[in-house]
Amino acid sequence: MSIRAFIAICLCKFLRLFSRLVHRGGTAMPGRWALKVCPNLLSILARGVKTVAVTGTNGKTTTSRMIEEGFAGQGLNYFANRSGANLLSGITTEFVMNSTLFGKCRKEYAVIECDEAAAVKVFPQLKPDVVLVLNLFRDQLDRYGEVTHTLENIRTALDSLPEPITVCLNADCSLTASLAEDGRHNYRFFGIDRGAVPTGKKSELSDASHCIRCKTEYEYDYITYGHLGGYRCPKCGYRRHETDYAVTDVTEQRADGSSVVLRTPDGAQLAEVNLPALYNVYNAVGAVAAMTEMGIPVKAAIGAVASFKCGFGRMESFQLGKAGAKVMLVKNPAGCNQVLDFLQNVKEKFVLVVCLNDRGADGTDVSWIWDAEFEKLRTLSGRLERVIVSGDRAADMAVRVKYAGINPRFVTLEHDYEKLVSSLENEERPVYMIPTYTAMLELRETLIRHCGGDEFWV
Amino acid sequence: MELKICHLYPDVLNLYGDGGNIRCLTQRLNWRGIGVEVTKMPIGSKESLTGFDLIFIGGGQDFEQQVLLEDLHRGRDKELVAAIEDGVCVLAICGGYQMLGAYYETHDGKRCDFVGALDLWTVGAKKRMIGNYMYKVPEELGGFTVVGFENHSGQTRLGPGVKPLGQVLAGFGNNGEDGTEGAVYKNVFGTYSHGPLLPKNPDFADLLIRRALERKYGAAELTPLDDAAELLAHDEMCRRLGKR
Ligand SMILES: [Zn+2]
Repeated sequence: MSIRAFIAICLCKFLRLFSRLVHRGGTAMPGRWALKVCPNLLSILARGVKTVAVTGTNGKTTTSRMIEEGFAGQGLNYFANRSGANLLSGITTEFVMNSTLFGKCRKEYAVIECDEAAAVKVFPQLKPDVVLVLNLFRDQLDRYGEVTHTLENIRTALDSLPEPITVCLNADCSLTASLAEDGRHNYRFFGIDRGAVPTGKKSELSDASHCIRCKTEYEYDYITYGHLGGYRCPKCGYRRHETDYAVTDVTEQRADGSSVVLRTPDGAQLAEVNLPALYNVYNAVGAVAAMTEMGIPVKAAIGAVASFKCGFGRMESFQLGKAGAKVMLVKNPAGCNQVLDFLQNVKEKFVLVVCLNDRGADGTDVSWIWDAEFEKLRTLSGRLERVIVSGDRAADMAVRVKYAGINPRFVTLEHDYEKLVSSLENEERPVYMIPTYTAMLELRETLIRHCGGDEFWV
Repeated sequence: MELKICHLYPDVLNLYGDGGNIRCLTQRLNWRGIGVEVTKMPIGSKESLTGFDLIFIGGGQDFEQQVLLEDLHRGRDKELVAAIEDGVCVLAICGGYQMLGAYYETHDGKRCDFVGALDLWTVGAKKRMIGNYMYKVPEELGGFTVVGFENHSGQTRLGPGVKPLGQVLAGFGNNGEDGTEGAVYKNVFGTYSHGPLLPKNPDFADLLIRRALERKYGAAELTPLDDAAELLAHDEMCRRLGKR
């Protein structure tokens, strides 16, 4: 190892320790400085570590935690990064913190969540053994450009790898599945098969309505949600790939989870997904595929998905008010629609809190709230007691809810999270809170101050 | 009274929540007891463009532009010109706005011929013009301020045949150079302000509704609505941009 790398590691460890001491949980900053000293530091540290990388627009964090659960259950010596550290700098910091001063990683395995736009910088150094691409949706446009641009980024990232690896792709996402077109790697497909769920409506706001190869409009045998489902191009024949890991039946969907039949190369079996909504069924089958390809027995992988408990914004519970509060992160129309669908399963009267921010990590353009179907709130017929809007763009959210058909009399605006949380301390009804990313960080901090909870380094 | 609205190419020109503008028009007509019928006209539709009172065209991803050009030049372009000359109200945003002009030239010199209904053209630049912005429309259109979000790399220039829709107060506008934003010609309004343009700018929404009703029924008296929520969102953005 070079002296340069040694200095970079020392610097990174020092900065990380320092930022922890002054109680600023920055994971990106130490890595950024270390990379300035030694630009290929990650490739040195990642050498010999068996790594699974998870990327895609929606569900990276949840799926990575599911995979972690499987690794932990098998007693593997592993480490993982968290969502706040999913760019090159943050991932480098995590590797440094798990390595000796001489650049030898102390862990045998790594579960790495990787931002879809950062993959092009991360993969060439990380050289993962298994890559899981969950899906591609329109997201934070002003940061990443078009969804096809993000797709090309991931394609370039996979192309940069010197050896063929295993790539698990969502068969139901026409954009994601097109990554197999290059044929350089070993591809495994996962998805939800025809007939597993009642087919959804074709959204006129589809993120991928036209064939990625020839631009003809797709025909669909069925749709699960968004643009996901059994697509085929009537002109050039590009179509959904056969699946290696698939949900063949969703036998029950509850407010706290789903029961499914899962087909794997090991045969079909019943599986429990310990999180609600269809998008978590995708996360679960994707996680099972990645875990199995990493060498974990299928049974153990399925067990991990069933016992998994979520945290940090992806459906986190807090003891606020008499009936508790649940926080669910939203960041784009497809994810938001899934949360709005989930609310249809709530049986009793409830209070909804929507926190909309427009900072860098949220996307500075809040137009997406008009693509999300807040009109679904109208069909909650009397169960939606009131709506509180908050965040930097609370006023925009109030307008959105008004045009969705909710009478402004039932909508209040509160910019101050402290006041917002205090006002809910004696609330009789359950509270559902749906913040964007940076709004969640602040809201969560306030909730923890009031009701306790885990501290989290971001 | 009833207005017939056409949403042109909702399948490909639908980026950035443009559908919010249709929702806004529909709601504001409903609240006033005026009937409204929205027809979606996707690519490949054989339906005629005649008989509509208002045509809405949104923005789109570059990937899909080619599909659109083919459909446009199968006769939709001539229909659009005829409708515009006939005084039909049109709101065209971002890609849809560029599409009504003469052409689009990419920064490496490739040219796409567009509808040519408006005397304007667009040249691709490397720099993206992006962010919240605001502009003021001239007194004859109401003199109000419009807040919105722009995200385009094309620089649009106006010929003598059109007037700017507004003067930029903050942000880039048509090209980031001459201080103009959008274009007006007869009852056509083109702008880079995408997504929820109308919900947050109720004066603009009502201007379109009034123009469409006047054309169809000769006169229009719009019942005032309670726009407290809309104006709050509008004013908060004005304040934010004013501080810059
Ligand atoms: Zn095709």
